[in-house]
Amino acid sequence: MSAHTETAHGNEELNYLNWKTGIWSWLSSTDHKRICFLYLFAIMIFFIGGGIAALIMRTELAFSGAQIIKDPHTYNVLFTMHGVFMIFLFVVPGIPATLGNFLIPLMIGAKDVAFPRLNLFSFYVYVIGALIGGYAMLNPVDTGWTFYAPYSTTTDTSVSLMVFAAFILGFSSILTGLNFIVTIHQLRAPGMTWMRLPVFIWASYATAVIQTVATPVVGMTLLLVIAERMFGAGIFDPSKGGDPVLMEHLFWFYSHPVVYIMVLPAFGVVGEIIPVFSRKPLFGYKMVVISSMAIAAVGFIVWAHHMFVAGISDFSAKFFSIITFLVAIPTAIKVFNWVSTMYKGSISFKTPMLYAMAFVFLFMVAGTTGIYLAMLGVDVYYHDTYFVVAHFHYTIQGGAVIGLIAALHFWFPKMTGKMYNETASKAAFAILFFGFNLTFIPQFILGMDGMPRRYYDYPAQYQTLHTISTIGAYLNGFGYTFALINLLWTAKFGKVKAPRNPYNSVSLEWQTQSPPVHENFTEIPVVDQDPYHYGTPNHKHA
Amino acid sequence: MLGLLGEQGSEFAHKVDFANDVVTIISVICTVAIVGAMLYFAVIYRQRDGKDHETPMIEGNNTLEVIWTVFPTLVCIWVAWLGYDAFVDLRSPPADAMEINVTGRKWAWDFQYKNGKKTTSELVVPVDQPVKLIMTSKDVLHSFFVPVMRTKMDVIPGRYTYEWFKPIKTGDFQVFCTEYCGNEHSKMLARLKVLPKAEFERWLADDSEERKLAALKPSDLGKELYAGKQCISCHSLDGTPRVGPSWLKAFGKEGELADGTKYKMDENYIRESILNPQAKTVKGYPAMGMPSYQGQLSDDEITGIVEFIKTLDGSQKVEVEAVAPKKSAAAAGATPVERGKALVHDTGNLCITCHSLDGSKLVGPSFKGLWGRKEKLSDGSEVVVDAAYIKESIWKPAAKIVEGYGPVMPAMYEGKLTDENLNDIIEYLKTLQ
Repeated sequence: MSAHTETAHGNEELNYLNWKTGIWSWLSSTDHKRICFLYLFAIMIFFIGGGIAALIMRTELAFSGAQIIKDPHTYNVLFTMHGVFMIFLFVVPGIPATLGNFLIPLMIGAKDVAFPRLNLFSFYVYVIGALIGGYAMLNPVDTGWTFYAPYSTTTDTSVSLMVFAAFILGFSSILTGLNFIVTIHQLRAPGMTWMRLPVFIWASYATAVIQTVATPVVGMTLLLVIAERMFGAGIFDPSKGGDPVLMEHLFWFYSHPVVYIMVLPAFGVVGEIIPVFSRKPLFGYKMVVISSMAIAAVGFIVWAHHMFVAGISDFSAKFFSIITFLVAIPTAIKVFNWVSTMYKGSISFKTPMLYAMAFVFLFMVAGTTGIYLAMLGVDVYYHDTYFVVAHFHYTIQGGAVIGLIAALHFWFPKMTGKMYNETASKAAFAILFFGFNLTFIPQFILGMDGMPRRYYDYPAQYQTLHTISTIGAYLNGFGYTFALINLLWTAKFGKVKAPRNPYNSVSLEWQTQSPPVHENFTEIPVVDQDPYHYGTPNHKHA
Repeated sequence: MLGLLGEQGSEFAHKVDFANDVVTIISVICTVAIVGAMLYFAVIYRQRDGKDHETPMIEGNNTLEVIWTVFPTLVCIWVAWLGYDAFVDLRSPPADAMEINVTGRKWAWDFQYKNGKKTTSELVVPVDQPVKLIMTSKDVLHSFFVPVMRTKMDVIPGRYTYEWFKPIKTGDFQVFCTEYCGNEHSKMLARLKVLPKAEFERWLADDSEERKLAALKPSDLGKELYAGKQCISCHSLDGTPRVGPSWLKAFGKEGELADGTKYKMDENYIRESILNPQAKTVKGYPAMGMPSYQGQLSDDEITGIVEFIKTLDGSQKVEVEAVAPKKSAAAAGATPVERGKALVHDTGNLCITCHSLDGSKLVGPSFKGLWGRKEKLSDGSEVVVDAAYIKESIWKPAAKIVEGYGPVMPAMYEGKLTDENLNDIIEYLKTLQ
């Protein structure tokens, strides 16, 4: 940088946001922090799109009988769009590609990821996948995000294109995962041993492994769907000796681990937030790390619990039920450790802490209702009812999305150099938390009453609960809008400059300036302590 | 115990419900305990003056880690066993189970009994007799879900799957398709009718209707259906328009739809008009004039109707008598409300074809909130819906017509439904508030 620019900026420090300007400097940037923003911008388009689709559906479902959507096909398209947008285009790339990009190098004390250009390339692969997916919506797909054969191989909509888009998005995911694995292995600052890594890094590492190993399987599956549609390959077609259930196996072999791609990084976020605002070391750090890796590993061998009534053998059903319970245990361990961290702490309730505590509650609901679905005889009843819908929204929205929003508040000062507005953020939190529960608690009850999912219309007995759920959905949508506009507004017009380390955290990303300089640290830091070195070492606690 | 899943209709339902109750109680206790602990810590360890106070450097506790690894493991083993145990029952039909073949297709359920009797969208079984459903699909994946029996299984093209249950009470129950199968997925419903044994035997043995229809050539089958399914009420055979267009010389005719586009009455147009009447309405006729026959007619029957329409080319005069009233099958159910519900839902009675139960407007006024409602009639007078009005409307539908509706209800119920039947129906309608 030249002396001239320094004078031009006066007292203002140069940072990654202002060291180069112009739209092109963003679109062609290989800086991991800027790539985070590219992703953030892109995924938010799909978050909003998927959210609007959900609100239209909820409006239709508010009352029994046709309301605003005149034909079932449009409804089917909407739930497909909601699923594809939210899963493939928002949540899967969501935390790994945004927060992972921003935080991994900063937290381990590196200048950037291992392969910065590959990182930018991954982003553009994502964009290409997203554009093809958007184009496919011109003859919108009506298969649901699961693309089950033979419906997906026979329906008259542009399934091939949509599936091809998901195939390309998979590559983006694989490349990002690979990049992060190498970064975490190779670029840790001096003294940053494996057991000094923040839990967010461990979670991201586990996620990256899943991305790299599981995604090729779904890629292959999706290609088979295309082969089936274009060349009549017959792999899923019983009249040619194929088997539609095979498609379900291949699909869930990826799509179950993908749930952990979505939610593990959120676990990591919560594990960062609670110690800082409790002024306590993360309770049982090693167990939290081990449980992340255990979830990632066991997550690979539980896929057929989506298929207890799909016509698999009774033996397989029993096997997969038992293995599924193994996921419950490391998840429970995490929850216990988070709560214990607060014991004898010095707790302050900034917005990120509120989100983290809400996360613990929501994830308890998600986890315990998951137990119902792992229990064979009980799952037979609940399978493909609203109980399942509510369960996975508690997991994905209550888990991954709340984790992402918590993180966007927590690291906001670092990302933008400004402080978020505490009052507005708390108000938004309250609305979206209340709205979320109001949306999905009635759906658990609907499931108990036997209401099937993916229904355009329903018998009148279910109406009251659906109406309540719709009101909740509006509140939930309003809460998110409020929270995001609040953040955007503050980022642009906020007056309060963020200090280097507003929460007095000990982890590395807070030791550099806010926002960080282009290559993160003016000099590479040396690490000499644990990641959660809070509290007084010789404090006598009764 | 908690009754979360509603009425129990099968022998193993209590086992599923017990497992569900246990896991519910454990979940509530764990959630309350953990969230309670979190909130308790939040309150007593909060920063009181907005400043950090000194905290101990507790990094973990191995005893606690062991406890909260072992304890959830034990709980998981217990509930896993409960689920497993119920599942074993769900998957073990007794050897003496009565087998019924089930075929799923877009978008209806067909049932076939050992003696060849076939039904569509209505599964009739005897009480206290294990029933095993042998299921397959004609097209895509479906799933046969009977909530009251607590069982469900996917229905897959190219292979057979099964499910079974032993009904413990008579009555009329809902069946859903729970695997997404396209446009009419949410209409792919069926009724499960559990009858007393003797009555079931009588029903099963009564194959006069089926045998007669099976022997017919398609166009004659269509002719039978024309009267039997009440097409006759709205479509004439002599060219006079009624609620709907006449079928005389209708096949191959071209014309204009309500939205101005052109149509040609070919096989596909007829099929669509039967299954999804609102998709294309001929200009000059009411848009909501015809109910959907989705799930009420088999493919063969639809073909029969098409063939029958083809014969109406004007070369000879065809006359069909409205069907003679046939006694409705005795309604199952212990209470008047249950019997009334069974009668209203009986596909042979066609009530819910035109009267919704949810307040939405179909061909006739909705049954929801009907009892005690003040209706304005087409002659301008007003009437409060009471027992006398309902009886008159069923036996002599043309006597009083509610404003905004046409005189289209067939006068087919006098003789078909007894006075006692009507009283049961009235008791059921009273519950639809």
